[in-house]
Amino acid sequence: MALLERYRVLDFTDDRGLLAGRMLADLGADVVQVEPLDGSSARTAEPLGPRGSYFWDTYAANKRGIAIDLENPAGLHDLIAQADVVIESAGPGVMDSLGLGFEKLHTLFPRLVYVSISAFGSTGPKSRYAASDLVVWAAGGPLDPHREKDRPPVRISIPQAFLHAAADAADGALFALLARTRTGRGQHVDVSAQASLGTATLGRVLAHTAGDVSPEWEKLVDGPVKKMDQSGSGSGTDPAKKKWRCADGLIEFHLTVGRASGAFTSAFFRWMASENPDYERFASIDWREVPDMVARGEFDDARFDEARGAVAEFLAGKTKNAVLEAAREHRLLCVPIYDTGDVAASPQLDARGFYSTVVDDAGREVRMPGAFAKVSGETLHVRSPAPSIGQHTEEVLADWVGTRVMENAS
Amino acid sequence: MSKPLAGVKVLDMSWVVAGPLVGRALADAGATVVRVESGTKVETARLMPPFEGGVAGHENSALYGNVNAGKLGMSLDLRLPAARAVARSLADWADVVLESYAPGRMKKWGLDYETLRATNPGLIMVSSSINGQDGPYSGLAGYGNVGAALSGFQSTVGWADRLPLGPFGPYTDYVAPRFGLAALLAALLKREESGVGAYIDISQVECGAYLQSPYLAKYSAEGAVVERRGNSDAAFSPNGVYPCADGRFVAITVGDDDQWRMLATIMNLPDAASDFRTLDVRVRRSSELDDLVAVWTARHRAQDLEDLLQRVGIAAHVSADSRAFCEDPQLRHRGHLVELDHPLHGRVTVEGSRYQLSDTPLSADRAAPVCGQDNTYVLHDILGLTAEQIETLESEGALV
Repeated sequence: MALLERYRVLDFTDDRGLLAGRMLADLGADVVQVEPLDGSSARTAEPLGPRGSYFWDTYAANKRGIAIDLENPAGLHDLIAQADVVIESAGPGVMDSLGLGFEKLHTLFPRLVYVSISAFGSTGPKSRYAASDLVVWAAGGPLDPHREKDRPPVRISIPQAFLHAAADAADGALFALLARTRTGRGQHVDVSAQASLGTATLGRVLAHTAGDVSPEWEKLVDGPVKKMDQSGSGSGTDPAKKKWRCADGLIEFHLTVGRASGAFTSAFFRWMASENPDYERFASIDWREVPDMVARGEFDDARFDEARGAVAEFLAGKTKNAVLEAAREHRLLCVPIYDTGDVAASPQLDARGFYSTVVDDAGREVRMPGAFAKVSGETLHVRSPAPSIGQHTEEVLADWVGTRVMENAS
Repeated sequence: MSKPLAGVKVLDMSWVVAGPLVGRALADAGATVVRVESGTKVETARLMPPFEGGVAGHENSALYGNVNAGKLGMSLDLRLPAARAVARSLADWADVVLESYAPGRMKKWGLDYETLRATNPGLIMVSSSINGQDGPYSGLAGYGNVGAALSGFQSTVGWADRLPLGPFGPYTDYVAPRFGLAALLAALLKREESGVGAYIDISQVECGAYLQSPYLAKYSAEGAVVERRGNSDAAFSPNGVYPCADGRFVAITVGDDDQWRMLATIMNLPDAASDFRTLDVRVRRSSELDDLVAVWTARHRAQDLEDLLQRVGIAAHVSADSRAFCEDPQLRHRGHLVELDHPLHGRVTVEGSRYQLSDTPLSADRAAPVCGQDNTYVLHDILGLTAEQIETLESEGALV
């Protein structure tokens, strides 16, 4: 039996929260997407194709759908009475104005867990701010450090802010359900996309309160030794120093130094030297010791540049696949930068059964990521395509309420 | 008010960011979380900025402090059998084990799920890794930047005319824990009814790819590869980040044609209002439009523009650096930054819980431990070892 099989979720979200219900549905909950009679705004969310929104196709998958006149939602209470969780992302005050706000529903249904996803949170001086993915990304911290010196900060080309918030909302709903098993009470779970994003900065948002006055990543790499980037990921290093052109694309490789992960760089140069003895001069360096060597004046920028030049020359002749195979064989911290096509064709994802293909109501096959986790004894995958408008209204009423008719529904 | 996970016991053997964030959320929810690490191979997060007082040091990382607040600190050198025996006892005590070692390592130590389940059948275990526990590339080493590369995120960030810039830091480290936590909490709910445990295998690459689901579906249907497009957007224009007079930046998104007319009026550019009347034109000529907006923003302070544009309902916000984030009135209203006592630093600040629950709030109640801070408590009070047994472990070098 699926983990959340006994739980019912009524999902009022638009594109800002659609993912939360999908996650709960993947884990086995009966998630019913509630749409207005003319359909959810998420049906027109980017990216679009000839038949509509792939955003809707993917993040409304595994849900059933009902359509209802939300301006006049009589009869909806019968469904809410059967729900364990309501999720909404309409923005502060909107659900209240429809008579579907937390306070009212909590009074009527004290066991109901009520989850709100918004840009800045339900209350507070910025709660009514106009918002977009980019603006929330700016307010939450991950945008600012993410720039090249001569250009403004840049976001990820695929909008992310509300996805982080929606995933947090799914977690918050589950915390509240766990609390309910002890208290018997439901409660309000208030998720702010802005607050969700601090964690996507590697703690950088805390530099000010920590009193770290110059943590800027662009200053780290060649600065004084105490500032040397000893992370394994190169988070403190200019991104341009971690990207390399290869024969058919790009490679991600950070010349990491120091005790925690310098050995990966040593291994990389051993691989180079195994193919060309000229590179032995880099392979003979213990890259774990480089921070100490810099401190003693035995290693300088010129040697870094020389090593980088050799890496560039070596990788230019390699394919993405050859690098991936070498990384596997020699345990290197170095991988190809996959584009969308590479991710779709990844032998690893294929071997893991990551993708699901479902046929929608128009007979069209849709292939998409099917599982975000592997759980023993369970198969997470896409069981059903995203619903058409009002597709399951009768079926859900019959299942949840024992009636096939609801006023104002279609 | 009792917290949602009061009484739940967790052995946290994860490290750096992705795994520890899961343990952090459980600690916030009231679970007793024992974080095991070793001073002989210093956990990477301890080496990473920002540092308290700007001074690098194993006990100074605010990143480590943020992802480990609320946990008990136990130091064990797991290379030694005696230390592994302690870990095994903690796994028998625990309801939940978290780990993020390279796939196969826990098995070598006799700490894999099958082994632990034999004596603790209700155990829930979460393994977090870059590629997952099986498959041809499961053995690949990596941090979140590797996860970001193999999940497609690296290629989708940056300017169309330049090399990809990559998402900031190990991006999938921020994504995967939200999904691992969801699966874990669902398993805890299931266990409340059935008593049955679960093994959860989280791959950072898969979680990252999951957040690109619509684009992977589009690729499968149409062969369309996601291209880097700076800050431009297919649905909104202008949509950009612009330099301001005070050296800061402001992010602005114009939602529709009406808002564009309003912005053009505010910028005193009536001709532009009509030249760029429709979204189609604005998207097609977005770089031209960005230049116009940037000329205007360069004459104003970033905060003034946020205030001005929000007053008329246009989405705008200062590109928040750490100071702006820490002083943000909205985050303060939510109590998002929490000050805690720290044995070495006096007071430290961590981020609060991201899940604001009205009835049973989650909160960080204790700063992250210094290495080995709670060894005696864990060994004596939790595992019931005698002073003599603890001394033996110490003399064997197991507790470093």
